[in-house]
Amino acid sequence: MANKTLPDDYYQLLEEIQILDFTLVELNLYLDTHPDDLEAIKQFNTYTRKAKELRQQFEERFGPLMHFGHSYSTHPWAWNEPPWPWQV
Amino acid sequence: MENFMINNTMNNANVMQQSTRKSYEPFVGRYDPCKPITVKYYETPPQLYLGFQPPGLEQFPPPEALKRGTLWPALYAPYSNPYETP
Repeated sequence: MANKTLPDDYYQLLEEIQILDFTLVELNLYLDTHPDDLEAIKQFNTYTRKAKELRQQFEERFGPLMHFGHSYSTHPWAWNEPPWPWQV
Repeated sequence: MENFMINNTMNNANVMQQSTRKSYEPFVGRYDPCKPITVKYYETPPQLYLGFQPPGLEQFPPPEALKRGTLWPALYAPYSNPYETP
């Protein structure tokens, strides 16, 4: 199989997802100890929605990011196709 | 806590980091065969001074938060080796 090269926006989109996911992790940890901080919860929900949209955009173009039902699949079955995360 | 200037530009962060770094002078014996270490440093990161994190703390913008490794400038504490930096 020809060595497929990835377009630039593959990396841009992936980095944006990574940025949002990191912020969500931080907010999640914060909310664990501050359960009634409404501002943080609103921020968490907006970032969750944004991250979901970005992931959907990414998956429509580049295939599933996750398996076991956390991502829709393309046809043919593709979640185990390269590039894997360490190859990106 | 007031003199604890929280600024998140790269170099100022190092200045801030020094202010949370503490040191002590270990005893050096007269017949110590090795070159004595005169000053030893230890880190006291910001979370030691913070206690329970107050709500509504200032946040880094997300791209910077990813680079700096934390969402909260108050807890940002990059390490610079005191023994190497001149």
